[in-house]
Amino acid sequence: MKEETFMIELEGIGKTYTRPGGEPVQALRDVSLRIDRGEFVAIVGASGSGKSTLMNVIGLLDRPSGGRYLLDGQDVSGLGVNELARLRNKRIGFVFQAFHLLPRTSALENVELPLLYSDRPSMKGLGRRALEAVGLADRIEHRPGELSGGQQQRVAIARALVNEPDLLLADEPTGNLDERAAAEVMAIFQSLHESGRTIILVTHDASLAAHCERMLRLEAGRITADERLRQAAVAAQERSS
Amino acid sequence: MSTARLVKHSFKAVARYKLRSGFMMLGSLVGVAALTLVVSVGEGAERKIVSTVHQLFGGSSILIFSGGGRFMGGPRAGAARMTLDDMEAVVKELPEIEVWDPQQGLFGEPVRYGDASTTARVLGQSERSERVWNRSVTRGEYFDAAAVAGSARVALIGETVARDLFADEDPIGAEILIGSVRFRVIGLLEPFGTDAHGMDRDNEVVVPISTLMRRVMNVDTIQGAKLLVKDPSLVRETAREIKRILRERHSLGSGQPDDFTVITAVQVQQMVRKVERVLFVFLPLVAAVSLVVGCVVAASLMLASVNERVGEIGLRRAIGARPGDIQLQFVLETAVTTLGGGFVGLLVGCAGAELVARRMALGEILSWKAILLGIAAAAVTGLLAGVVPARRAARLQPAEALR
Repeated sequence: MKEETFMIELEGIGKTYTRPGGEPVQALRDVSLRIDRGEFVAIVGASGSGKSTLMNVIGLLDRPSGGRYLLDGQDVSGLGVNELARLRNKRIGFVFQAFHLLPRTSALENVELPLLYSDRPSMKGLGRRALEAVGLADRIEHRPGELSGGQQQRVAIARALVNEPDLLLADEPTGNLDERAAAEVMAIFQSLHESGRTIILVTHDASLAAHCERMLRLEAGRITADERLRQAAVAAQERSS
Repeated sequence: MSTARLVKHSFKAVARYKLRSGFMMLGSLVGVAALTLVVSVGEGAERKIVSTVHQLFGGSSILIFSGGGRFMGGPRAGAARMTLDDMEAVVKELPEIEVWDPQQGLFGEPVRYGDASTTARVLGQSERSERVWNRSVTRGEYFDAAAVAGSARVALIGETVARDLFADEDPIGAEILIGSVRFRVIGLLEPFGTDAHGMDRDNEVVVPISTLMRRVMNVDTIQGAKLLVKDPSLVRETAREIKRILRERHSLGSGQPDDFTVITAVQVQQMVRKVERVLFVFLPLVAAVSLVVGCVVAASLMLASVNERVGEIGLRRAIGARPGDIQLQFVLETAVTTLGGGFVGLLVGCAGAELVARRMALGEILSWKAILLGIAAAAVTGLLAGVVPARRAARLQPAEALR
């Protein structure tokens, strides 16, 4: 390795939308940040602050209008749609506020969906194991309509995990959940973080950010604060003791 | 990403949305059923027409009817002017005519045997009609030249007449009344079945033409004649010559229309081809229209499905589906549905064709052409209906689709 690479390295990222017939909107302005492997980062901001756009850029769902994005040291701006799709499939798991589970489809089939697009030779048992990891081993054949909101979001988390990505992106994952279900979901993120995954949580709720080690505040498309809430090493020690 | 997995996945997706899939299937079902039915029945009808025409009308025949005007339909000017002498003159002058048979007849003539009675078509013909019309007897014997020359009161009866008058009795040798004239049955005509006009050709009695003309009808004209030419390539020329001779004998001036009609195999074939055009262009056209409708229905339902599933498409893109995977998925979903509907339509169409065939006595009717056409139509429908929605789905931007 020529120099130390970060998991995510953004340099001067800008994103401008031009809606037909409207003024161009600058959703991101000159965003630079680095996220290391294993970090648990919260991106907070009011709605319209550009936090979802930032997550879409980091998650390779949207291309920035300017700047440079290195994922694991690889510049992704030159990659085509199919290469980006492959990277998302292998490297990134997504959790959304609205769950985005396929209706009338069993939990297991929902969880196995990313395997449909993967080139893994064997996929046996992966879905089941991912559901076990989120505590839903007994809900394998249930359909989303037969599950509570918290359970549905746990199915979605299992789906995000099934391909064993090292980056997990969660956009308001507790936005549709009651307090108890939200706490369950956060506990799962916590334990995933402990097992070494990089997690980026996008939320407008500062109290959720308290679960994280680092908080980035976004206002009008700019990063206005970058706070270390706890030292990762210290936090890990606290937990293990 | 393996296509086999995606195909399996599409089947499940189709099963998930039963109502929508059902409507989509209905579209292609109706279209394919119509197409299969129409093509099968069309082919069967054509075979029937061709075989009937062939039976009546080999390649070297010429038909002459008294009366002018058009073949089939329309009043005939100057009917009842043709005589046996006319025909004899024609045959004498034209050595290329191999054999000929005159015809006179009555429709719906009462025929009786004892207490039993029926009505039948009574045809007067010469002893040569056995050969010229290619219809012999299954029992007894045909009347001979002497019977025709001597106006013998002998008759050949068809199977329907035999059944109606004699039931289980042996008709050979029995005496029947045609009108009020007594005839002796000497033969049973070969069964023919229904002809192209839907007429039962077994409800016929054939007697010597001289007997019919003199003893039953009391006329000295004939309705027409059929001639066989030695060499099929001479048919056109011979027909022209026949017209010339008949016009001469009937003293027709150059401005006057024919008072007879000459039809050759060529003309009959042209007519058959006209019928075929209807069967093979217009009917499939109707079926094709219903397929197009099915295709439009499937496409619009699929478009609605894409719009309804924007979130799902965004999610699939997020978890690694390439635009091509999305496109393939929607094409497959449409194809699975329309092919499924098409297959059922094929069965429905074949069953319908079988039913029609039985009613119309068309015989064996299922054609591979119809089946292959049906399958191809369903496949094309599916692809056409699937492509537009699938492309639209594939073009969605993941970030926007997830919003």
